[in-house]
Amino acid sequence: MPSWQDFEPFIVSGLALGGVYALSGVGLVVLYRATGVLYLAFGAVGALGALIAWSLQKAGTPGWLSWLASVAVAAAVTLGYGILFGPALARRDPLVKAVATIGLTLILYGLMDLLWTTSGGQARSITLPTDGSGFSVGQIQVTWTQVIALAAGVVLTVATGAFLRYTKLGTAMRAMANDRDITATLGVPVRRVEAAAWLGCGVLAGMAGLLLADLVALDATTLTFLVISSLAAVLIARLRSITVTFIAAIVIGLLHDLLTPVNSLTNYRDMTPFVIAAVALLILSRHQVMSQSREEA
Amino acid sequence: MPATLERASPARARTRLSRPQLIRAAITAALLLFVLLGLPQLMSLYYIDTMTQVAVYSMVAVGLGVLVGRVGLVSLGQVAVLAIGAWVAARLLFATTQPFPLVLLEAGLITMVLGVVIGLPALRLRGLYLALITLMLAGAITVVLATVNFPNGGHGFLGYNGSLVHIPPIRRPSIATSDPAYFRYSVVVAILMFALVLAHIKTRPGRAWAAIRQSEPAALAAGINIWFYKLWAFALASFITGVAGGVLAGAVHYLYSIGFPTQDSITLLAVTLMGGVYSLWGAVVAALLYQFLPALLNNWGVSADWLIILFGVGVLQVLTTAPAGLADQVPRDLARLGRFLRNHVRKAAPAPTQGSTK
Repeated sequence: MPSWQDFEPFIVSGLALGGVYALSGVGLVVLYRATGVLYLAFGAVGALGALIAWSLQKAGTPGWLSWLASVAVAAAVTLGYGILFGPALARRDPLVKAVATIGLTLILYGLMDLLWTTSGGQARSITLPTDGSGFSVGQIQVTWTQVIALAAGVVLTVATGAFLRYTKLGTAMRAMANDRDITATLGVPVRRVEAAAWLGCGVLAGMAGLLLADLVALDATTLTFLVISSLAAVLIARLRSITVTFIAAIVIGLLHDLLTPVNSLTNYRDMTPFVIAAVALLILSRHQVMSQSREEA
Repeated sequence: MPATLERASPARARTRLSRPQLIRAAITAALLLFVLLGLPQLMSLYYIDTMTQVAVYSMVAVGLGVLVGRVGLVSLGQVAVLAIGAWVAARLLFATTQPFPLVLLEAGLITMVLGVVIGLPALRLRGLYLALITLMLAGAITVVLATVNFPNGGHGFLGYNGSLVHIPPIRRPSIATSDPAYFRYSVVVAILMFALVLAHIKTRPGRAWAAIRQSEPAALAAGINIWFYKLWAFALASFITGVAGGVLAGAVHYLYSIGFPTQDSITLLAVTLMGGVYSLWGAVVAALLYQFLPALLNNWGVSADWLIILFGVGVLQVLTTAPAGLADQVPRDLARLGRFLRNHVRKAAPAPTQGSTK
């Protein structure tokens, strides 16, 4: 068993990773609650944004502009998909809606692999200006990017929670989560509320993509399918609670990184999100009621 | 539901095959004979290897088709199941001198047991949650496989020896050591698996699955043990996929965990949906899309990424407009095109009475 000293640096990186998982998770939950779509292209959209930022920076665009562009692209793609396919699939089963986003994932993934070829072997990386500078807590070096990652997770969770609770748009989204048809009858502009949710989710996807590209790797495959890990936190929250998503994300991020120095388990640390999600789902679903929603038909 | 009653009553009377069915059976038999006898002679080794992969993945796709199309369970982890089957078969082939078919059977059975053990708790979940938990489990299996590696002739339970210089190839059956012979062998195995699925669909489990897919409460009310039949479907799909894994192990000779990434399960679901989950032909179409087209494009020097984009578009198209996939849509569209052309050719003749296309 390694000593406490070995674990210390991994607490920081684990919290940062957890923060980004929380950021992704909150985006996924908000969209799911408003539209019933589990957006599996979240990672792909973020990866596209990050790669565009990389290309722009290489072409000499100032940093802040490229980051803005990356978030804008992610938001635009997400919104576009939502407007094109959202209404067509609105009455289908949540499973069908989720599988449809796999379609978008594959399109984006193919496109990225085509445009930013990885076979050349050149490694790309995005560096945020916050990487180099930092401070230290005791013995541990902390970069500002890590701080931003955790802070973004915290701030967005709180902000989204407040938004859903206190604003008119947020209330409309919560109403749609309960019943789309009745909400529409009450005079809520359903399509517009959905579009807002898509846009918000896209912005979060872009931000998560940038942060993950910096913290993990700038690689289309990795980033696209990293959404599978972020999904774990969302699943534990049963696609509903933002708070649970946040806590689960932090726990998963922490546990994942804390396993790194443990020799016997370090190879298995990537299993953390899957195992936690699987166990949690099985425990949470003990009391299932057979129900058939009208939308399943 | 009057529709189901109508469909059920001729099924009872169908002890003797009707004329269109006979024709269809004859065409299928002729096609199979051509694939078994003619095709290996016409193709280069490159395409023979590719077609062996097609046979393997058609089995995986037919297993997934049973889950998705017949029972309505979406699994996003079939490639991980395939990897388990391949692992078990490789381990058995290195450790024992058992005949190859026996190893295939054992690989299928062991995979089935593992699939059932994993599926048992997961089956309490439904719909989206079930799909996601299979994805989570597939992710976990992939990580384990990356660590324990595939057997390469080493000793011990895992059979992996990282310091081996001469890695022995995974053996093939003695009657099918050459590539064309092994291709025929895989096609025969695939035919057996398809027959197994067909036997299920035409009998009691198939009817129970259809009822479950329509409505679980109604199936329950009709006295169908939902849990049991769902598990049965899971077991059947795992068995077939395990056998496919065994065939794959013999086909490629060397297995690496990097060949079974989690995302392949997602792509596989996409092509299976594109091929069509309601017919067995859909599985063949899916396997051709998944294995043959990339090889073809590779030969032509076109990037396989175009194909991935095509799969993405295909999934969206299938989900929005053609739920039965290409296997259903292409013949229907061809028939429609044929009618259209015929109508154009004899324009002078009075327009034939054309009802709805359904």
